[in-house]
Amino acid sequence: MSRYDVIVIGAGHNGLTAAALLAKKGRKVLVLERRDVVGGLAAAEEFHPGYRSGGLLHDTTGVRKAVIRELELEKHGLRTRPHRPDVLALGDDGQSLLVRGDRVKAVEEIDCVSKKDAWRYADYHAFVDRVRPVLQQFLNEPPLDLVNLETISIRDGLGRGLKLRRLGRRDMMELMRLPPMCVGDWLDEWFETDLLKTAMALPAVAGTFMGPRSPSSNMNLLLWEAAAGPGVVGGGPALIAALEAAARAQGVEIRTGATVERIVVDSGAVKGVVVASGETIEAGAVAASCDPKHAMLGLLAPGVLPYRAAERLRGFRTRGTTAQVLLALDSVPRFAALPDETVELARTGSNMLTIERAFDAVKYRTIADEPVLEIAVPTVVAPDLAPAGHAVLSVLVHFTPYDLEPEWNDAERERLGDRVMAILDRHLPGVSSNVVAGVVLGPPDIEKRYGVTGGHIHHGEHALDQLLIRPTPECLRYATPIEGLYLCGSGSHPGGGLTCAPGLGSGLEMQHF
Amino acid sequence: MNAKSSKPSRTSYDDIVIGGGHNGLTCAAYLAKAGRKVLVLERRHVLGGAAVSEELHPGFTFSVCSYVVSLFRPHIIRELGLTQHGLQIIPLEASFLPLPDGDSLVRWSDAERTRREIARFSPRDADTYPEFGLAMGRLARFARHIIDHPAPEPTSFDPRDLMQLLRLGRVLRDFDGDLRYLNFKLMTMSAADFLDLWFESGVLKAPMSVSGIIGTFLGVRSPGTAYVLLHHYMGEIDGAFRAWGFSKGGTGGLSLAIASAAEGFGAEILTEAPVERVLIKGGRAVGVVLDNGDEIRAKQVISGVDPNRTFLRLVGEDHLDDEFTQQIRRYKLRGSSGKVNLAVDRLPNFTSRPGDGPHLQGDIAIAPGIDYLERAYDQAKYGDFSERPYLNVVIPSLVDPSVAPPGKHVISCFVQYAPYEIKEGPEFWPQRREAFGDAVVDTLAEYAPGLKESILYRQVLTPWDLEQDFGLTEGNIFHGELSLEQLLFLRPAAGWSRYRTPVRNLWLCGSGAHPGGGIMGSPGELAAKTLLKSGVS
Repeated sequence: MSRYDVIVIGAGHNGLTAAALLAKKGRKVLVLERRDVVGGLAAAEEFHPGYRSGGLLHDTTGVRKAVIRELELEKHGLRTRPHRPDVLALGDDGQSLLVRGDRVKAVEEIDCVSKKDAWRYADYHAFVDRVRPVLQQFLNEPPLDLVNLETISIRDGLGRGLKLRRLGRRDMMELMRLPPMCVGDWLDEWFETDLLKTAMALPAVAGTFMGPRSPSSNMNLLLWEAAAGPGVVGGGPALIAALEAAARAQGVEIRTGATVERIVVDSGAVKGVVVASGETIEAGAVAASCDPKHAMLGLLAPGVLPYRAAERLRGFRTRGTTAQVLLALDSVPRFAALPDETVELARTGSNMLTIERAFDAVKYRTIADEPVLEIAVPTVVAPDLAPAGHAVLSVLVHFTPYDLEPEWNDAERERLGDRVMAILDRHLPGVSSNVVAGVVLGPPDIEKRYGVTGGHIHHGEHALDQLLIRPTPECLRYATPIEGLYLCGSGSHPGGGLTCAPGLGSGLEMQHF
Repeated sequence: MNAKSSKPSRTSYDDIVIGGGHNGLTCAAYLAKAGRKVLVLERRHVLGGAAVSEELHPGFTFSVCSYVVSLFRPHIIRELGLTQHGLQIIPLEASFLPLPDGDSLVRWSDAERTRREIARFSPRDADTYPEFGLAMGRLARFARHIIDHPAPEPTSFDPRDLMQLLRLGRVLRDFDGDLRYLNFKLMTMSAADFLDLWFESGVLKAPMSVSGIIGTFLGVRSPGTAYVLLHHYMGEIDGAFRAWGFSKGGTGGLSLAIASAAEGFGAEILTEAPVERVLIKGGRAVGVVLDNGDEIRAKQVISGVDPNRTFLRLVGEDHLDDEFTQQIRRYKLRGSSGKVNLAVDRLPNFTSRPGDGPHLQGDIAIAPGIDYLERAYDQAKYGDFSERPYLNVVIPSLVDPSVAPPGKHVISCFVQYAPYEIKEGPEFWPQRREAFGDAVVDTLAEYAPGLKESILYRQVLTPWDLEQDFGLTEGNIFHGELSLEQLLFLRPAAGWSRYRTPVRNLWLCGSGAHPGGGIMGSPGELAAKTLLKSGVS
């Protein structure tokens, strides 16, 4: 039996990032993945013979430059895109707006709809560019302990304060006003075109228990904008391939089909893990990229975690709100709005109220009459996911409740699938006749498949409180009350999405271990 | 009964206060107490603004708008000697929640009785309830610091501001880690989520959560509503005061006591004296012009009306720079509540707890579940009033017989949600007013059959009416949404939370200034004290 310096639980993008980083620093690292494939939520999934999805997370714009640099991902095949993907915003009445990823082109396109909005769009981005350094500092540096303010060093506190002050009084005040706002109000202050607003608002509420009218949803938009870069070519699977190659090149050992059953703790310190086969693997430290509830309430023996820490963790909100519908198509889909263009990403929702209405359903544990969709065509950027000439559609159905009443079953999956098809047929005429196969994954299915508590794609709600202190004060900076146990997944700072940021932050923090 | 209409005795004053609401009057009293010549100008024929009592039906006196006194700062009562001027607060003893299934929950001022009541729904919650109250009571200390001082300015390097931040820090330092975390959670979470951390019973959580949404256009699941739960616990820390109470003679009794104190200090108060605009010369406020064209001069002008009305109507954009105008324009008012006042010939008889009894002497909440409250909110989001609204009902005549003839009663129903912006447009509210009133009465009658037959008189106030009759822009009872981005140093606009305005010698003293709405008296008090300290003439 060999002993490792660090065992990483979970080979998702964050687990791989932390593993590669630690191996680079000379640690002997083993990654244990429950499933037979690496990649977690970003893994390409074969859902029908010959057809693979591009993963559950469509958005790669948040991938941290520091990770790409530090792990030399470009050497391992990663390529960044020239700019963000174009987003086609679809209204119910046949209206549409293409929001270009290229900012100059975007302004030109918006100008055809609203002169005022075109001008404001440029202004909006100018503002985001100005405040980006402050937001990035929040995102990319270890979080301040807002509960124990006296532990913040004067240098750290003043440093951040000065960065804020350097914005100038007006932007500084504005930046303090914005995070508690709802995204609907803020975008209303800027723009008049509904489809522009809905396309921009969706990243702020996707995966959350918030609608565009929910206070503090604007925090998500700000953070998303601050982190958004051009994204990577080939989407999640390409990122995973590069991360895996980088990790292996650093000497990381990766075992798939290895379910961790228990984290072994002795006298308050981690000793290793027990896997499903019964084997105990020893290690000096464990980094859990699974969600914090699973890591600490599921994998630790009862009583190991101090009572208060466990209690607080139980209060960490993980009600998943995302379902996925995967469709295998025998031809390339054509959107009625742009029949001659190849569309990679589309979002539905005519206006903010449409999105808000869709959100209401999740509160009452029902499926919305008109759910809001993010439609990705992963085969546009990764044609090998389907046979030549065929395509895959990955549809995220937002605001689908985890705790659906009376319960999740095949009939409900069917119902959800039908509603999605009805919307798709409106925007992609005749698409139902091209469907070779389809799969519906509700939040409980996502929970089961990926092992994320509550089926929450961010490992925990993205709300102001859970973003500032994530997941709990005890585990604020990746370390936990158990010596040698660290968190490195989306449930820790700075949160979910294909960013690799928690893996990076955790990896850096663990160097000192 | 409290008409004070007459001509001003002078043509020039030290201070003119626009609006005779409780904040304007409080401000005037403090200024007069300091020896200044003060004139208060009230548009209506009665004093009190939204804290007003009116005899709308012979023999029946209504607290027309605001109906309970919960947060009025005890030190203001002391400093202005309001008790000597007739102020009497009668505490509310119970909080009654009738349920549609015929059950009910009453939370009494007696802790043991409350425990037994809650235990019927959840023994665990019954044990947690006092613990929750204790924690909230301690957190209220922090909130009191914020309410009783001008808003802390986090961006300032002024030593006085830094001292204030330090003081706040010191309060936090006294909290242990648990309490600090709780404080953090309270400031950021939704009321429903926050209560989920403590309790399991929806029967208990729903009526507790509503204090997070009163007067706001948010639901109990909206983040940022939890901190308002503290309001319920503000009273207890001051010892002398109960959490909720009625002012004798209706809420207007409080305003009249303040007015009487102000006059005792030498202030002059005029009713039916609507201000048309603030007189501005060379960028300075120098007085006001009344609707009748009269000009009255003053060294300082202090506005108790909301920021929107103050700046966009009384001052006018010509006197403001674009950026500030922009800030005021985007300041959200969005009234969300209405009021139905009833005169009845007998007490309502609740199916779940028949007969008269002390359970009727407190507040009665129609809030049977978090989903019910959210559904009420959802309807408002899309431009309708709630068909089945949240109601907060009180029967002040039970504890204050002076407000109704013997054997008869007044019932006050606070109603949420009634959005100012209904689908048809706010100006269509008068056409929908009675339908709204019917929805309220129907809702209450589901719990208290026979109510309809007992009604002698009904007054329905929609947000439109609150705007037209009381001058509350968009019918917002708090002079602006109490959402985090409009509080503290951001109320009403970034950098203008210290009662001063961009117009020199013009000040704010109403609920649109820090610390916001509710019958606290704090904006009025703090505005006056800030003005006095500033050394202006």
